Amino acid sequence: MKAINILIIILFTIISNFSFGQCNDQLVNVCALDNNGATYIKDFKVKLKKAKKKEAAPVAKYQVALSKNTTYRFNSCNATEFAGEAIVQLFDAEQMLGSTYNMATGKNYKGFDFYCKKSGVYNIYISFKDGEEGCAVGILSFVGKEY
Amino acid sequence: MRKRFFSFLSAVIILSACNSSNTNDVSQDLTIPDSVKNGKPLQISEEVMENMIQNISSPVEIASLIRSTGMPYSQKYICKTDDIEKYDSNFKRAIGLGILGADLGYLNMYNKTGSVLGNLSTIKSIADELKIGQFFDFSTLKRLSVNNENLDSLIFISTQSFNNMDSYLRESDRTSISALIVTGLWIEGLYIASQVVKENKHKDLAERIGDQKIIINDLLIILRNYKSDPNFASLIADIEAVKERYADIKISYIKGEPEAVEKDGMLVIVQNETSVVEMTDQQLADIISITEATRSKLISL
Repeated sequence: MKAINILIIILFTIISNFSFGQCNDQLVNVCALDNNGATYIKDFKVKLKKAKKKEAAPVAKYQVALSKNTTYRFNSCNATEFAGEAIVQLFDAEQMLGSTYNMATGKNYKGFDFYCKKSGVYNIYISFKDGEEGCAVGILSFVGKEY
Repeated sequence: MRKRFFSFLSAVIILSACNSSNTNDVSQDLTIPDSVKNGKPLQISEEVMENMIQNISSPVEIASLIRSTGMPYSQKYICKTDDIEKYDSNFKRAIGLGILGADLGYLNMYNKTGSVLGNLSTIKSIADELKIGQFFDFSTLKRLSVNNENLDSLIFISTQSFNNMDSYLRESDRTSISALIVTGLWIEGLYIASQVVKENKHKDLAERIGDQKIIINDLLIILRNYKSDPNFASLIADIEAVKERYADIKISYIKGEPEAVEKDGMLVIVQNETSVVEMTDQQLADIISITEATRSKLISL
C-alpha cells in the first residue's frame, strides 16, 4: 500500500511536469494510451480560433484510408486551457457516417467506434462545439477485425 | 486494476523520458534528390500530397490483420537488415527505412523482441544518415522491447516515431524522402501480406491485397511528382508494373445506410455500404509474383 502511495505521488509529479491535458505533444501521448486497448495508428492535432460572429465554426480536415471488415476507434482529448470541446466527424465523400456529437440529445461522446465495411479513403473533420476556441488531439486506433 | 495502474505509470514515465530527447539540432542539408530541388514546381500541392501520404495503410494494421488470421510468425518474411545497412545513397536509405518500418510493425505485433532490437538498431542508423534520427529514441524503444508488459507503449512509440518523422519531412520540404519511405512501407506490407496468403489463402487478407488497387494510384501520383529524377523514374516504372496486375481487378459497391448504436456506453457506428473485391486466383498469383519481384529489386538496390 505504501508503495502504491509513493507511486501515486510520483505519478502526480510527472503529470504536473507533463502539463497534463495541455495543448502540446504530451496530449497525444496521454490520449493515445488512454484508449481501452485499441492500437494507435495516427493522431490529428487541432488548434482552432473562436468562430467569428455569424460565421461557421472553423474546421480542420484530414483524410484516412480505412479497410473493410475492420473496427476503428476515433477519440479525442481536449486541452484543458481552452474552452473548446472537440467534435469529431467521419465522412465518406459528402455523407456523414458518424460524429461524436449527437445533435438530438446534445451529448458529445469522447469517441466512437466505426465498423468499416467498405475499403476506401474517408474524411475526418474536427471542430469545436459552439465554435469555441480550442486545442485538441484526435486519435485513430485499430480495434480489431470483430465488431 | 493494480496491473493496469502500473502499466499506465510505466508508460507515463517512459514517455516523459522520450520527450526530453527530441530536441537535437537537425541539419537541413540533405543532398538528395537534387534533381527535384531545382526549383521545378510541384505538380500537386503539398496539402494534397500530405493527404495522399496519410492514406497509405498503417503497417501495424496490416500486421494485426495477419496475426488475426492465426498464421504463425515467420522470420523469412522479414528483410535482412544487413542488406539495408549497406545502402550508400539517401534514395535507397529512405526506401529501406520504409521497409524496416513495415517489418517493425510485423515484429511488434508478434512480440518478437529479439528481432525488434536488430531492426530498431538499423532503423536508428539509417534515420541518422537521413538526418531524422532524432525521432527515434532508441534507448527507450530498446528498454520497452525487452519488457513484454509494455507492448502497447512500444507499438505506440514506434508508430508515432514514424508519424512524427513523416510530418517533419513534409514540413521541412523533404516530401520526396517521405514519399520514398511510404513506398517502402507499402511494398513491404504488401509483400508480407502476399507471402502469408501464398501459404494460407485467407479470404480477408486476400481481399486486403486486392484493396490496394485503391491506394496504388495515390502512391503513383506522389511518386510521379519527382519523375525527373532517374531513380524516381525507375521506381515509378516498377510500381506501374505492379499497378498493371491490378488493372482487371474489379471493386464494386453495395449501397447501405450507416447505423449508430450504443454498446457498453460506447457509441458504435456500423457502416452498411460494402465494397466487394472481385479477383481471380490467377490475378492474386500475378500480384504476389510481381510484388516479390519488386520487393526483391528494391532491397537489392
